[in-house]
Amino acid sequence: MEIGGYQFPDELYYDKEHNWARVDGDQATIGVTDFAQAIAGEIVFAETPRVGRSIESGNPFMSMESGKWVGRIKAILSGQIDEANEEIEFDSTIINQSPYGDGWLAKITLNNPAEVDGLYHADNADFQAFILAEKEKYGK
Amino acid sequence: MKLYDLGHVPWLDSQLIYHALPRANEEGLILLAPAEPYVCIGFHQDAEQEVDLDLCRARHIPVFRREVGGGAVFLDGRQLFYQLVLSRDHPLAQGDKTALYRRLLEPVAETYRQLGVEANYRPVNDIVTQEGRKIAGTGAAEIANSLVLVGNVIFDFDYQTMVQVLRVPDEKYRDKVFKSMQENLTTLQRELGQTPDWDYVTGLLTRNYEAVLGPLTPGTLSQAVLDTVETLRQTHTTEEWLLDRKRPARAGRRVKVSTTAAVVRNVYKARGGLIRATLEISADRLAAIELSGDFFFYPSDGVAKLEQCLTGLALAEIPQAVRAFYAEGLIDSPGIAPDDLIAALSSGAK
Repeated sequence: MEIGGYQFPDELYYDKEHNWARVDGDQATIGVTDFAQAIAGEIVFAETPRVGRSIESGNPFMSMESGKWVGRIKAILSGQIDEANEEIEFDSTIINQSPYGDGWLAKITLNNPAEVDGLYHADNADFQAFILAEKEKYGK
Repeated sequence: MKLYDLGHVPWLDSQLIYHALPRANEEGLILLAPAEPYVCIGFHQDAEQEVDLDLCRARHIPVFRREVGGGAVFLDGRQLFYQLVLSRDHPLAQGDKTALYRRLLEPVAETYRQLGVEANYRPVNDIVTQEGRKIAGTGAAEIANSLVLVGNVIFDFDYQTMVQVLRVPDEKYRDKVFKSMQENLTTLQRELGQTPDWDYVTGLLTRNYEAVLGPLTPGTLSQAVLDTVETLRQTHTTEEWLLDRKRPARAGRRVKVSTTAAVVRNVYKARGGLIRATLEISADRLAAIELSGDFFFYPSDGVAKLEQCLTGLALAEIPQAVRAFYAEGLIDSPGIAPDDLIAALSSGAK
């Protein structure tokens, strides 16, 4: 669905750090949202996370750079990285072009699948209000 | 908010202090300069690709990887660094990148104007003179729970050493970089014919930042910050920290449309910026081409002329055509050599 002009696919889970997760059992593919890529602008570098590394929900696990600005990406869920999208290090703009598709960041095995319960679907009224407030805050 | 006006400090401290403040959960505006020269590379850069590390070792020029974005730069005591650390919750740290840069770089632009240099903020993160020459370096990062904005007021600049420490393919190319840098980067010395008094400039900068940040109280670094500096002195000076970021050199993406046609998208990182080439290939000829990226071509219609020149050529003719185009002197592309463009084009066309 669309919130404030930005795409938020219905089947995905979201947090309030502008991340998404596609969850399948104890596996998840994670990335940043359409809104996140819009406020970042053209992403010139993305640091691919190391496979095998453990990540913790709410803690930074990789970085991106746009306009000489280094931003940290926080993990939406805790787990271990099984696969990292190496294409984004080669051409980071695929995150801008396809944040929910080719621009995925990592695939992880979840440490605690129950964490998903703390995330939102796009039809959640609280989440929609949050995105609209963020849109206002960022002037987007 | 605290003001840390520290004067000239040991070169490493000129970087570590602003990395330490966020980790100690403290805000502040730091004004300082390095007592010794050094080279500083951006967080995501590959040190070995960007800097002539052997030359730096031979000349005892330290090299440091900062956590802030941007490119490699030669820094010395003739540059006044401003380093602003704001909590992510600070009202001035809200908004998008352009708005933040505009808000937080305006005091620097105003300082230049008060010194007699008509300089203005130019999106996304530049301060330029009326002639369009860059006169301040800037960059930003999110460190811990803070936003960090850093930059420098350039009293004078050692262009010669700057181009010497960069890794470049050959001396001819180095000359072009030198000329381009002289053309596109200026200093207070060049604009005013002299350098203003250091304390006078820090006073102006402080007052201008107070107009945005509110009152600034002179302070000394807390024990928590000093302890964090000592921790960072261990972690941020290792070879691993400096060298452990390798940029991949990869061939282009190729989508085969038919047995004789393909669309290739290639991205090549040259010193002057990222080159993106989209090629439509038909029967081993370049049917169409689109070049883009964050590089500069002079004159501005140079890219269109180059695209026109290459369209229709056999793939094997491209390297020669690119070199011929440059040889005619039709184009100046700082940091982009003919071989960069050939690499951007040919790797995708294999």
